[in-house]
Amino acid sequence: MRVRCLSSWAPVCALVAIVCCASVAPAGPATVTSAEAARAPRAVAAAPAQDLELPNKPDSLKFAVIGDNGNGEKRQYDIAEQMANWHGRFPYELVVMMGDNIYGSERPQDFIKKFEAPYKPLLDAGVKFYASLGNHDAREQRYYKNYNMEGKLYYSFKAPKQDVRFFALESTYPEPEQIEWFRKELEGSNEKWKICFWHHPLYSSARTHGSETRLRASLEPLLIKNNVSLVLNGHDHVYERIKPQNGIAYFVVGSSGQLREGDLRQGSPLTAKGNDRDNTFMLMEINGDELTFVAIDRGGKVFDSGVIKPRQPAK
Amino acid sequence: MRPMLGLVLSASLISCASADVRQKAPTNADAAVIAEFMKHVDEYMALHKKLESTIPALPKDASPQQIDQHQRALGRLIEQNRAGAKRGEIFTPGMEQIARKLLADIFRGPGGTQMKREIFEEYQERDIKPVVNGRYPDEIPLSTVPPGVLAGLPKLPAELEYRFLGTNLILLDPHAHIIADFVERAIP
Repeated sequence: MRVRCLSSWAPVCALVAIVCCASVAPAGPATVTSAEAARAPRAVAAAPAQDLELPNKPDSLKFAVIGDNGNGEKRQYDIAEQMANWHGRFPYELVVMMGDNIYGSERPQDFIKKFEAPYKPLLDAGVKFYASLGNHDAREQRYYKNYNMEGKLYYSFKAPKQDVRFFALESTYPEPEQIEWFRKELEGSNEKWKICFWHHPLYSSARTHGSETRLRASLEPLLIKNNVSLVLNGHDHVYERIKPQNGIAYFVVGSSGQLREGDLRQGSPLTAKGNDRDNTFMLMEINGDELTFVAIDRGGKVFDSGVIKPRQPAK
Repeated sequence: MRPMLGLVLSASLISCASADVRQKAPTNADAAVIAEFMKHVDEYMALHKKLESTIPALPKDASPQQIDQHQRALGRLIEQNRAGAKRGEIFTPGMEQIARKLLADIFRGPGGTQMKREIFEEYQERDIKPVVNGRYPDEIPLSTVPPGVLAGLPKLPAELEYRFLGTNLILLDPHAHIIADFVERAIP
């Protein structure tokens, strides 16, 4: 199905060229392809005014990705407005949050200003938000009803109808108990799609934080062994699609409110596509053996897109 | 409470990979100081849990108001029960010395400047005076604590966190938003 941009942002909506992927080989990589993949690492070409294409199938899983969003500033509200606009055309049912959900004070009024007000149209439409906690978040956020964490610092949940399981971790204090829980949870998951998200990126080309190599040493073997297809992180206030690492697709989505302009290292060998010039969020759709993604900026432009295939168990 | 003492002795003060600073293995004297620190942490946690059991549990689908009320109710109880608490009761002088040494090595080592930048990225004011057994200031964002720092410090139970407030290393009770104790001017 073709989804047209009908809002006032229509002139800047972009065509998403979704390129078909190679077939999945046993134990093969999660393949990311894009019309613009592997080109200039941080260039964000101004896409022409065009239409968006997403499968937008009735029974697919549609979700959004935001990170480092909760500053209560205009940029967060701009992205939230775009999210609401897109929801009207692409009715995603959930949003996963990469952490740093509430910056600064966390009084009741802050939950309104930095979360409930900007995302009110989505909350009113019944969209469920699933949060992970960032290094600036108070742990008490895990009890907040709209974050759907049920009092847990780390948790997993299955998609409503599709063969997909999400795993949310707390990466500020990755204690051995959590890693062990993660291992068991992954091993016990039979879903075709295993999608993990937490705050600190295992791979990042940003200057400010960059790759969390200590965390990578703990988690990456589990991701590889258990056929995780996709990892979503934040922390660095940029957008970056990482070239697949050990067959796994990684994204840094840490600019849905915050932004660190010019923070991506130019020419980083990790980067498949980056944006450190504007705030961003992502939309994703899983339809059987394909995950289609688009990354969108404050102007409503789709500046990155592609298709990911699930990793398969080794035979 | 997590199994801690073994972790303390093995994980603390040994390495700080992100700063690429090699710490010396803890001496017997250091181990005794750390054990004493953890004893005080355990005592604090016992009080925390006892007091928390006297107020209604926070539901898993709480509103921001409920979270705030719970936090303040527990905070008041802790303030009352620890009235007269002084700096150094948990971070004993010996532990303070160890923490200062560790942090000095980390922040003066490779990557130290970058870590300081991360800590002060959301709030630049450094000259803040915490109050032992006082509420964490609402208007000040929670600081990041770089993994290299966390890896060097003794591991805490889930109900306590290390944070920086200005240049001070604080022991924060996040359920109550109470500063249990602090090391003054810990960041060189």
